[in-house]
Amino acid sequence: MATSDSSSSPSSSSSGTEFADPNPSTDPETNSERVQSQLESMNLSQPSEVSDGSTRTDYSGGDDQDEVASANGNEGGVINGGLVHEVVAGASGGEEIDASLRAENPVEMEAGEEPPSPTSSGYDGERGSSGGATSTYKADDASEDEIREANVDGDTASQHEAAWLPGKRHVDEDDASISWRKRKKHFFILSNSGKPIYSRYGDEHKLAGFSATLQAIISFVENGGDRVNLVKAGKHQVVFLVKGPIYLVCISCTDETYEYLRGQLDLLYGQMILILTKSIDRCFEKNAKFDMTPLLGGTEAVFSSLVHSFSWNPATFLHAYTCLPLPYALRQATGTVLQEICASGVLFSLLLCKHKVVSLAGAQKASLHPDDLLLLSNFVMSSESFRTSESFSPICLPRYNSQAFLHAYVHFFDDDTYVILLTTRSDAFHHLKDCRIRLEAVLLKSNILSVVQRSIAEGGMRVEDLPIDRRRRSSTTDQGQDTVGPEVSVGTGGPFGIWHFMYRSIYLDQYISSELSPPVTSHRQQKSLFRAYQKLYASMHDKGLGPHKTQYRRDENYTLLCWVTPDFELYAAFDPLADKAMAIKTCNQVCQRVKDVENEVFLQGASPFSW
Amino acid sequence: MATSGNKNINAKLVLLGDVGAGKSSLVLRFVKDQFVEFQESTIGAAFFSQTLAVNDATVKFEIWDTAGQERYHSLAPMYYRGAAAAIIVFDITNQASFERAKKWVQELQAQGNPNMVMALAGNKADLLDARKVSAEEAEIYAQENSLFFMETSAKTATNVKDIFYEIAKRLPRVQPAENPTGMVLPNGPGATAVSSSCCA
Repeated sequence: MATSDSSSSPSSSSSGTEFADPNPSTDPETNSERVQSQLESMNLSQPSEVSDGSTRTDYSGGDDQDEVASANGNEGGVINGGLVHEVVAGASGGEEIDASLRAENPVEMEAGEEPPSPTSSGYDGERGSSGGATSTYKADDASEDEIREANVDGDTASQHEAAWLPGKRHVDEDDASISWRKRKKHFFILSNSGKPIYSRYGDEHKLAGFSATLQAIISFVENGGDRVNLVKAGKHQVVFLVKGPIYLVCISCTDETYEYLRGQLDLLYGQMILILTKSIDRCFEKNAKFDMTPLLGGTEAVFSSLVHSFSWNPATFLHAYTCLPLPYALRQATGTVLQEICASGVLFSLLLCKHKVVSLAGAQKASLHPDDLLLLSNFVMSSESFRTSESFSPICLPRYNSQAFLHAYVHFFDDDTYVILLTTRSDAFHHLKDCRIRLEAVLLKSNILSVVQRSIAEGGMRVEDLPIDRRRRSSTTDQGQDTVGPEVSVGTGGPFGIWHFMYRSIYLDQYISSELSPPVTSHRQQKSLFRAYQKLYASMHDKGLGPHKTQYRRDENYTLLCWVTPDFELYAAFDPLADKAMAIKTCNQVCQRVKDVENEVFLQGASPFSW
Repeated sequence: MATSGNKNINAKLVLLGDVGAGKSSLVLRFVKDQFVEFQESTIGAAFFSQTLAVNDATVKFEIWDTAGQERYHSLAPMYYRGAAAAIIVFDITNQASFERAKKWVQELQAQGNPNMVMALAGNKADLLDARKVSAEEAEIYAQENSLFFMETSAKTATNVKDIFYEIAKRLPRVQPAENPTGMVLPNGPGATAVSSSCCA
């Protein structure tokens, strides 16, 4: 611990990003007690005395989506009863170094030598060097997944959305519930006066005390002229994001990167802005104790669906959108109508199919950020109300203009395909309705809706469809390519053990992801693959070390290959035993293949999306 | 505003009321004859149209089913502006929703079209056991404020069609002088004279 405090750390911190404390706290003891008591009252995970493996299954609940943290055993908890946390502030930049909290680390460890109180074990169980914790974590994660799989895997082999139900679950829980504390990933939105606004699990009102604690931690650090970004506590990460009077916090033990968790908080905030605009800040200026929860009434499904998308939708970290594969001419025909609509005074017109774009157009000089598109489609897709009829609703696009509402006309042509027309005029409903009627006529005449339905049924690009050079492959196998024989490769993904790929066109702000194919089929496997991609993405875009051009990484689950050029980024996952040279060759083939079909998988010719 | 022509009347109708009073359920029962036990919360406002034949005319309702959520309250004028009729809905099992309905009536009386036909619907009339607002109380309130009152049930379809039918009957058959389809720009000599005198 490179802090200025003299007391030495009983267990060395695992962080490699420790900084010398530039701002030693003048009164560390008092401060540390305060932080400790704040953290203690959070009771993040269950007390260690309750933690035994047998309780795990109770909370799996047969629910595919809910992540239940496995009990973390008693390791460390007995020896180090006290509170240990590690603050890594400003993970990517020195200017955000959190001095005040770090200064207290050694003192907190001293405090830890006191007998543990029964409720102070929030972080106790997580104690230990992260080197040792890594293997435990994996084991825990696997067993927990197996339990969950045993409960629900009847249908997880099917598509990811199949088992997922929108809306908020476990509203009966609060921070005293063991099940609540064991959830693997919590999201909280609160006001700077500590009032709860949103919680992923549990009833917001019952979590008032917990929210107040989070607020206390944030403002404690802010009072020192600093900012808390991340608190690491064993395998838990507590990520903070302050947006004016709104605080967002994620508490996660999912092993996702700090950058991505912060990005998720950003999207969560954006979703809230989409519903209310940033003018909500003014309510807090007028009344600091303003209760915002009623304003978000009826939007639980919007948030839960967004949180769900963090584990399956690559758009949430690629910051790009994806198109439904369609014949070029049909997409062009649709685009022409949408452009005509925009020419008649509509700001943006979009034809979407689930979260994929069929076509879209914007008024001159208006550009739609991929994140806005993600939040908009999530909002519309998750609100059942839009499906009953035509709707006209105020919507704010946070990246376009976070201060003002636009008016959105929404109409579903069928279960999956819908049009969104955005305008600045509140009286434009009948005009937009006429536009929709015109669009519908074209869609019916060109039979586009049924082509769209066929495209959904057929799916997008598949790794199995990549060209296979049989002769070449067998020859490499003969040369002793580790242990991968042809019998292993066949039937498990595409040629040379490729399992999945994502190709992001930088110029178009679009990506194409291959369909999930065996062996990556269940939601659990998909989630695991996406988390591997997220890490890869984060390491490729690490501001301190990167940007990098290529990365080849192999672990027991995957061989991952990433290739970044000024034009595109390619992420590919292979069999862990895949041959490197063959993997590189396959990636070249993927890029070639994407180029061959780019007119069908990308929206071309649209005006550049983000300038 | 209702427009008549050849005994075809177009009437804009708006539904207002508290969250969960049953506005969407009433409309869905009326327009599609459907009922969903757990109706999702409306976002913004949903638009429907439905035609109803009354004795002497065909009334085409253009229905705005507004969201009861608090964040949309400031948008309500956008939907009730120019409306020929309004149904203010409350839930007979929820006193607060009745109070909220009174607020809507006040707002419409202050801001809305003075000729607007206003109906007060006490919805969820099938839930007699849970009743919190008596029919008498609502009836007295309605009379004091010159609304007409009906207890409805979107679930059992009781009085749903009737309330729309009653509104259709009460819609004014002859339009007031103002032109409902928008301002017609006068180009006759008289109009020119008026405008020039105005400028002078």
